[in-house]
Amino acid sequence: MPAYHSQFTNPPKLIGNIALVPLRTSYKGPAPKDSSDSDIIDEAIYYFKANIFFRNYEIKSEADRTLIYITMYVTECLKKMQRCNSKNDAQKEMYTLALKNFPIPGESGFPLNAMFAKPKSRAEEDTMRNYFLQIRQETGLRMCEKVFDTDKPSKWWLCFAKRKFMDKSLSAPGQ
Amino acid sequence: MSFGKSFGPTGTPAVIIDCGTGYTKMGYAGNTEPQFIVPSAIAVKESASVGDKAIQRLGKGVEDLDFFIGDEALSATSYSVKWPVRHGIIEDWDLMERYMEQVIFKYLRAEPEDHYFLLTEPPLNTPENREYTAEIMFESFNVPGLYIAVQAVLALAASWTSRQVGERTLTGTVIDSGDGVTHVIPVGRPRKLRTLTRTLKWGFYQCFKGRPGVVEKTLTGTMVGSGDGVTHVIPVAEGYVIGSCIKHIPIAGRDITYFIQQLLREREVGIPPEQSLETAKAIKERFSYVCPDIAKEFAKYDADPSKWMKKFEGMNSITRQKFAVDVGYERFLGPEIFFHPEFSNPDFITPISEVVDTVIQNCPIDVRRGLYKNVVLSGGSTMFKDFGRKMQRDVKRVVDARLKISEELSQGRIKPKPIDVQVITHHMQRYAVWFGGSMLASTPEFYKVCHTKADYDEYGPSICRHNPVFGTMQ
Repeated sequence: MPAYHSQFTNPPKLIGNIALVPLRTSYKGPAPKDSSDSDIIDEAIYYFKANIFFRNYEIKSEADRTLIYITMYVTECLKKMQRCNSKNDAQKEMYTLALKNFPIPGESGFPLNAMFAKPKSRAEEDTMRNYFLQIRQETGLRMCEKVFDTDKPSKWWLCFAKRKFMDKSLSAPGQ
Repeated sequence: MSFGKSFGPTGTPAVIIDCGTGYTKMGYAGNTEPQFIVPSAIAVKESASVGDKAIQRLGKGVEDLDFFIGDEALSATSYSVKWPVRHGIIEDWDLMERYMEQVIFKYLRAEPEDHYFLLTEPPLNTPENREYTAEIMFESFNVPGLYIAVQAVLALAASWTSRQVGERTLTGTVIDSGDGVTHVIPVGRPRKLRTLTRTLKWGFYQCFKGRPGVVEKTLTGTMVGSGDGVTHVIPVAEGYVIGSCIKHIPIAGRDITYFIQQLLREREVGIPPEQSLETAKAIKERFSYVCPDIAKEFAKYDADPSKWMKKFEGMNSITRQKFAVDVGYERFLGPEIFFHPEFSNPDFITPISEVVDTVIQNCPIDVRRGLYKNVVLSGGSTMFKDFGRKMQRDVKRVVDARLKISEELSQGRIKPKPIDVQVITHHMQRYAVWFGGSMLASTPEFYKVCHTKADYDEYGPSICRHNPVFGTMQ
């Protein structure tokens, strides 16, 4: 049984070769509103613990790329949360982490340029950056809820902070 | 508990010794459990000087009696502990001889002149090794008879006890399935071979006559054996090991322990570093099982932690203080590396179910159905709950997908008969090889196929190159 894939195989729109899947979020951005109770971020968080162990991941649909990005961003969140002592701290950290200057496909700092296509135009680049920003903000928020179910971070999440999905990481080594 | 006993010409039951890499299982034929299971370790005194180790070990006085085996060896201080069996094959014959000495005299307390012996060998063992074994047994211990059996075949035989077959008609005829014998080893006359295996089976049948449910017995099947060091997948057709198709998987008990140790290290604090391997091993043995779907399993644990998370308590061996460890996801992630080796091993990524399928596909076409139908597990690392069930499901999935493709290719004109995949699990798995040996050696036929002391004296150790059960060269 291979790794888990995204169910959102019919995205309304593509940017580059990433699926622009609706998100259930109050943050502003290009993503359409999702009103169901499970969007791709929920899905990625649900599969996170299982998928994180895989070194190889076959991309079956465009939505899988979105899933990969969220999965890797969750690892980044966990790394930050290791140093947080309270939920408030963590929320602040997540806020700065989301807004931090981050690379998008095509830029030299992006680790997955082999699988993610470069945006074709200036407009597409903006959409992509804003979509990622939206994902980062919403994922950070949801991870806070998951990890800080009490006032201390749950060790059942933090234990995965050191693992690398597909042997890659969104941040440079040592960070 | 024991089943029908048959004593040999000596009037005593045969002795069965199965020397594995990790543990040696020993006992008497006719019993269902080995008398002793001890680590295959020997502790000897060794001086640091240079020179031939073999001569040094001989010593002058009674030094050659100064050694321990098994658990005693592991706890002996100021001795050096050796493991004479590596990857199932005996590497140090000198130590092995001394090891056997204590196995026979100190543990089994037997007089080797009075018992026939059944020893086991791994698949693809060399004839030379078999000769060395014969030399030790006949010359050092003076045994009256010896049989060296292939472990895979014994494990297969052991699984017969658990074959529950729908129709419970004990008619007295043994159903013979799979007849691909001659394809596998081209020497010998098939007819004679068939009668010989049949006599052997008849013997087995006699032992289980009183037990309902045991009807169909076959010596064809695929064995998945996993101990501490290496996992083998071995196809056996009519008792013949199809040597060229054997595959080894570099994932076994030890890798699971390492993986659990790593998971614990990433999460738990308070395990003394020098005891972390031991703790991981204890957790593996006590709490692990195989789950059908890991994502769902994670969700289950997170939804109801109190039900699934366990607590392990250990004691620090130095400070004598207790420490507690939470046991969580590693309960199902440990054994999962058989199905997803990439979790722990970056170089090997083929799941065990695919290896089983490949092995069977490499075998002669007429034995494949028999091999799928009888996948037998053996060895301690296959003992995880539901291991067999998940493997059966995964192999079945691969097989069904292949049949579907061939049906599509023929555009519906050919309807392949579905292939029956059965993975047999039974409660004797941990010492299946030993148990198989015990069954074999409690039949009267066993004594007909043994190499005897008289033969040995007449022809020499080369008699062990030949197996009288299947061979015809007399």
